[in-house]
Amino acid sequence: MSETLDLTLKVWRQPGPDASGRYVEYKLTEISTHMSFLEMLDVLNEQLNEKGEEMVAFDHDCREGICGMCSLMINGQAHGPDSGTTTCQLHMRRFKNGDTIVVEPWRARAFPVLRDLVVDRSAFDRIIQEGGFISANTGSAPDANSVPIPAPVQETAMDAAACIGCGACVAACKNASAMLFVSAKVSHLSTLPQGKPERDSRVQSMVAQMDLEGFGNCTNTEECQAACPAEISVSNIARLNREFLRAQLCSKE
Amino acid sequence: MVTKLAEKQQSSPSTGGKSATKWIMTLLSSSIGQKFVMGITGLLLCGFLVVHLAGNLLVYVGADAYNGYADKLHSMMLLPVAETGLFLLLFAHMALAFKLTRDNERARHISYQEPQSKIEEKPSVFSQTPMGNTSGWMFLSGSIILGFLVWHMIDMKLQLNPTVDYDGKKPYGIIVDVLGSYISAPIYIVGTIVLGFHLSHGFSSAFQSLGLNHPKYTPLIKKLAIIFALVIAVGFVSLPLWGFFIR
Repeated sequence: MSETLDLTLKVWRQPGPDASGRYVEYKLTEISTHMSFLEMLDVLNEQLNEKGEEMVAFDHDCREGICGMCSLMINGQAHGPDSGTTTCQLHMRRFKNGDTIVVEPWRARAFPVLRDLVVDRSAFDRIIQEGGFISANTGSAPDANSVPIPAPVQETAMDAAACIGCGACVAACKNASAMLFVSAKVSHLSTLPQGKPERDSRVQSMVAQMDLEGFGNCTNTEECQAACPAEISVSNIARLNREFLRAQLCSKE
Repeated sequence: MVTKLAEKQQSSPSTGGKSATKWIMTLLSSSIGQKFVMGITGLLLCGFLVVHLAGNLLVYVGADAYNGYADKLHSMMLLPVAETGLFLLLFAHMALAFKLTRDNERARHISYQEPQSKIEEKPSVFSQTPMGNTSGWMFLSGSIILGFLVWHMIDMKLQLNPTVDYDGKKPYGIIVDVLGSYISAPIYIVGTIVLGFHLSHGFSSAFQSLGLNHPKYTPLIKKLAIIFALVIAVGFVSLPLWGFFIR
């Protein structure tokens, strides 16, 4: 038999991008501790729907912790109190009976609120469009082991590639900086042989777009690393800085 | 977008004066480039602190040693050049601090109700700033240091401290009076303690901004930053305490 919780939710409600928002309190009773945080919000929405009220809009997709779609600032922490996990993998057993939970959207000028808890993260897409890819000739797949990649390099690239682009780094940073995201993408691609041909132009274009989108600067408080569900390291930010300097000094541009 | 990148790569190498400096402008106007400048100026100012502290610790050796050092320093031909360089470093560091802080406040235009850190173990209480829409601890500590430096200039450069009699005194006599001044001593003590906290984050942060982060040496740099901050703060704080004691 599972325990149940009675909770008070303080949820940010905002009808549209240009509308002003406010916190609205909701009381929930008999919430199972087995529920995920998003399932708890589903229960809230069902109750709101029954009463004929507008439901709370929030982003979610896979609910398996891998897609990067869910967000939410829960009691002032990106993806809630657990480390290395997303909101959809946060369970209600982490809370106590009678708790008040404040639920806010990501706050950043570059991530404008669309509605309630949903923010527009297309700034990340535009950064990816500027260089977060490789240009390869299509055709038959190359022979296995024809491109040797040392294991430590592969590890570095794969650790960086774990980024799911959820934006928790931006949300947790006091400056709303996107450095951890951009550094993960740059590290992932520029350390592998397939990414080397566009190494310089990639970092230059992606950093230029990052600045254009209005993200803040990195002040090395390392809050992003602590908030990241994919546990991306700030050593990637140092690599981004190196890659950027190298591109400025060594490329033709 | 692929074609856009390909076009960029195929474009001919830049020649001529205008485009030869373009990359510098791109570097200096980018967020990362500005952090480079912040880090480099910060580290160079750290170098100055070491020299300045070493020179000032000569007061413990005696009046002759201190006066000899001061006279030799002031008779150096290149001193005005070095001073100008120092002011330029400080100015660049400050101007960028204002600019970056303003950018950062704009980037987080709405703050959270009660932001909470997810960092479990903070390396130093003061090296991390609480999240939120504040300008941050480094800006605050930097501002306090600036206030202290302004008073330091009034004391030593302009020689306008009302509690100090500057007439006909050798450098050692002036420094003893200034350090023992009931206006200057508290300002110096607070200023240099805050400077220590500023350095405890700034010193290691500069290396990260310059791209120097590696499991081999980053833990060492972080420890070194704390030791450096302690040495500088304790060294400088000892001076007004000593000045007050011998008064």
